[in-house]
Amino acid sequence: MRPFEYLEPETLDEALALLAEDPDDTLVLAGGTSLVILMKQELVRPARVIGLRKLAQLRAIRSGDAGLTIGALATHGSLARASDVNAFSPALAATFAAVATVRIREQATVGGNIVHADPSQDPPVTLLALDATAVAMSKARARRIPFDELFVDVFETSLEPDELLLRVELPALPVGARATYKKFLPNTLDDYATVAVAAVVATDADGRCTHARIALGGAGPVPLRAHDAERSLVGRRLDDRSITEAAALAAAATDPIADLRGSARYKRAMAGVWTERALREIA
Amino acid sequence: MTGPALFMTPERRLDGTDKISGATKYTGDIEFPGALEAAFVRSPYPHARIRSVDAVRARALPGVRAVITGADVGGARLGRRLQDWPVLCWDEVLFVGDRVAAVAADSRAIAEEAVRLIDVDYEELPALLDMEAALRPDAPALHPESASYRFLEGRGPRPSGPHPNHQGYVSESHGGDVDAAFAGAVRVFEHEFTTPRIHQLALEPHAAVVWIVGDRVHVVSTNKAPFTLRDQMAASLGLEPGRIVVDNGPIGGDFGGKGLSTDEYVLYFLARVTGKPVRAITRMADELTAMNPRHASRIRLRTGVDATGRIVAHESHATFDGGAYAAGKPTPRLMVEGGVQTLEGYRVPASRHEAAVVYTNHVPGGHMRAPGQPQNVFASESHLDIIARELGISPLELRRRNLAHSGDPVTSGGPWHGPDLHALLDRAATEIDADRKRGPGRGVGFAIGVRHVGTGSTTITLRLDRDGRIEVTTGVGEQGGGQHTLIQRIVAATLAVDPARVSVRRLDTDSPKDPGIGGSRVTPVHGGAARAAAEALREKLGGRAIADAAATLLEPIEVSVKYDATAADHGACAHAMEVAVDAETGAVRVLEAVVVVDVGQVINPVGLRGQLEGGFVYGLGMALTEDLAVEHGRIRASNLGDYKLPTIADVPPLRIVHLNDGHGVGPYGARSSGELVNPGVPAVLANAVADASGARVHTLPITAERVWTALQAKN
Repeated sequence: MRPFEYLEPETLDEALALLAEDPDDTLVLAGGTSLVILMKQELVRPARVIGLRKLAQLRAIRSGDAGLTIGALATHGSLARASDVNAFSPALAATFAAVATVRIREQATVGGNIVHADPSQDPPVTLLALDATAVAMSKARARRIPFDELFVDVFETSLEPDELLLRVELPALPVGARATYKKFLPNTLDDYATVAVAAVVATDADGRCTHARIALGGAGPVPLRAHDAERSLVGRRLDDRSITEAAALAAAATDPIADLRGSARYKRAMAGVWTERALREIA
Repeated sequence: MTGPALFMTPERRLDGTDKISGATKYTGDIEFPGALEAAFVRSPYPHARIRSVDAVRARALPGVRAVITGADVGGARLGRRLQDWPVLCWDEVLFVGDRVAAVAADSRAIAEEAVRLIDVDYEELPALLDMEAALRPDAPALHPESASYRFLEGRGPRPSGPHPNHQGYVSESHGGDVDAAFAGAVRVFEHEFTTPRIHQLALEPHAAVVWIVGDRVHVVSTNKAPFTLRDQMAASLGLEPGRIVVDNGPIGGDFGGKGLSTDEYVLYFLARVTGKPVRAITRMADELTAMNPRHASRIRLRTGVDATGRIVAHESHATFDGGAYAAGKPTPRLMVEGGVQTLEGYRVPASRHEAAVVYTNHVPGGHMRAPGQPQNVFASESHLDIIARELGISPLELRRRNLAHSGDPVTSGGPWHGPDLHALLDRAATEIDADRKRGPGRGVGFAIGVRHVGTGSTTITLRLDRDGRIEVTTGVGEQGGGQHTLIQRIVAATLAVDPARVSVRRLDTDSPKDPGIGGSRVTPVHGGAARAAAEALREKLGGRAIADAAATLLEPIEVSVKYDATAADHGACAHAMEVAVDAETGAVRVLEAVVVVDVGQVINPVGLRGQLEGGFVYGLGMALTEDLAVEHGRIRASNLGDYKLPTIADVPPLRIVHLNDGHGVGPYGARSSGELVNPGVPAVLANAVADASGARVHTLPITAERVWTALQAKN
């Protein structure tokens, strides 16, 4: 690891001011589970690292009529256990519980996870399906970024170098909405998903779908929305036919790369299988 | 047959307290004041000529004490048997990770920074990345000057093969006219199987410290056979063996990988140049990409059977990818010997075996827990299962018809000598409830594993003090297998004393020669020596009780026994496994596993359980996940996020059942256990998957995608 200057601001204003001084050569440390590895491997070589651990307000988890707000420094472990998260969506709590191992979950933060933009990560997939919005701030301004516009490419988000991710906001779910997160782990239980699917649906009194969100992880350079599959479901009953069709459309929406977890062909097929399983579970 | 009552009591490990408390000092933990740290420049190409090495900027870096290149090692090559691996390459690099320069610096960070400042100008050359390509008649020889390499004799002359790219080559037949036997077969089956490179992955990486005082070269390292290392270093470096003293403490896991040393040689040159101790600790990325993994293999089997499914003739063609150097193999034939005799444990009246290890531009292959055998057993037991299904006989029944009874001809050429294989298989079938009808997507599989009991010679010394304490001294170390505790308990049991009164001390290489750990050797050889030494002491005391005799001693008495374990024997096991296969994804879930073993008399019950259960999980990794996949000659995994091992959460319900036929040749009827269980696990899993789903996977690991692909092809 290369030597670097390490700073721990006491306030958010101080953190943003420090970040504004030299944004291109500064990196922000939250839980550190990814950043420290990247630094050790010298894949990143920051001149300055700003540690956020004194900014306790960024750990807050709040719920209300408007939905759920998750502070960027909340750990996956705390989110998996939080009653507010579970009350908002058990599938979201389950998603945080599915991240890595207990050691990582208690250290890694949701904000760090999101800005790392690894397309194999779990939380971005479910957050995308829950219509999340990222709230970021720089010294000059605050900005709201819908998750659909947040992920640009592998390890790349639309955040500017001087911006700090403060929190994630989730709007209230439609009445009666059901959600699920499916993580396909065929190798060992301690692994990134080969593919992952988050699905959210709501139906009206007739059983017709009024709301559908399908998001896929490990299926492309960024977490993907299966827009065609979602559209195909709205207005229809969630039966064998509509689910099979939606699953096929979801598979077609993927753009996976071949890697140690499988070929592109296999991952695409598995995106279909797991979309179908997710939809059957919540139909 | 029951052994001493002590062996029924769970052992208290001699090394246990220090390991649990963290007090154990492994090689990488030892602080040497003033020691320098080493780092290495490695080739990014699978095959290239070195045009020049420019170390000017590295030498100028503050804290750098020495930079040496291939020009500084005087043509020295290292190896366990054939010394073909340059200590540092001087003209060509032969795999991605081959070393061309070394730095000694005040810290590891400085040494690694200096490595980045060294510019090597390479001319890339065509690489032989495929075994078949390397064996084509017109393939260039990767080692054209191989005849000049040093071969450490001792157990036979240097082997040769029909192609210059053969590292080792074996062609043998047993039981008369094999072609005539095939001609008499009612049906003949032929199948091919492949397995990838996989890694030993001890928790502790390779590490070494070398320093020179006067004319003595001191070595502390993770090598598990210190005397052999001394001799290999002496030959490679042109030193008298007595000038080198190797003093290797506790080893943090081995699995075969700690038999090969590469750093000790270059550290000698760095220590000589700097006049200081120099230490190297291997990075995980280098462990995974540039050490000595299990050989990848391609095994073709052909078997003829009679009308009742009995085997009448068998032949195998096994090719192992030896990589750029044969240095990792200690065997006289430069062969992964467990890969030669396929269909081990079955009655085979006539067989022919061709096995080859091939030079390629991949990472050199080495020894790993039962070298060659898991590849062989995966192929052999899968082959048998396919034959059974083709014949319309249950795989269990086909095995019953063909398993060797004592004295039957087997593929090693000799009559079968070892545990009752039928009893093991029958018990496995009962334990897994083989006749029970399973639901869709579920199935059971079987496999047989046999492993020789090691042989060899060592010296053990006992010293009885007046207070009745006994100190054992031995040249063997402790690499996690419980070697010292085994010796302690055998001495204690033989002399009928409390094991707490018996201590074990390891000696350095300035003491009687010891073969080290490996080859399923320690229980029969060191255990046998411990018993023989204890018996010699008892005899010297005229058969009196130790406490009585000790009280009358004027001074401590010592007996030293050189013991030679020569008896041929096998440990054996039968595997049974039930799996569920998800037909839509190909994902395999192991529902239950049973291993019925005959390892003879149990000496360390806790340690034995660790060897057997650990061996199972070790095999499960090979079966399901482990693969040092290569892309353009480069191993893709550089960390344990990409090279996947089973975690404890992945371990299925597992039952180990012990049978003992009472004929083990080790001390008190013990047999070896460390390499017994892992070879059969990929095979039993492959067979269970086929039973559950109809998907037959011919390639390891048995990933969900491979099962899914096989199911797609079937439907």
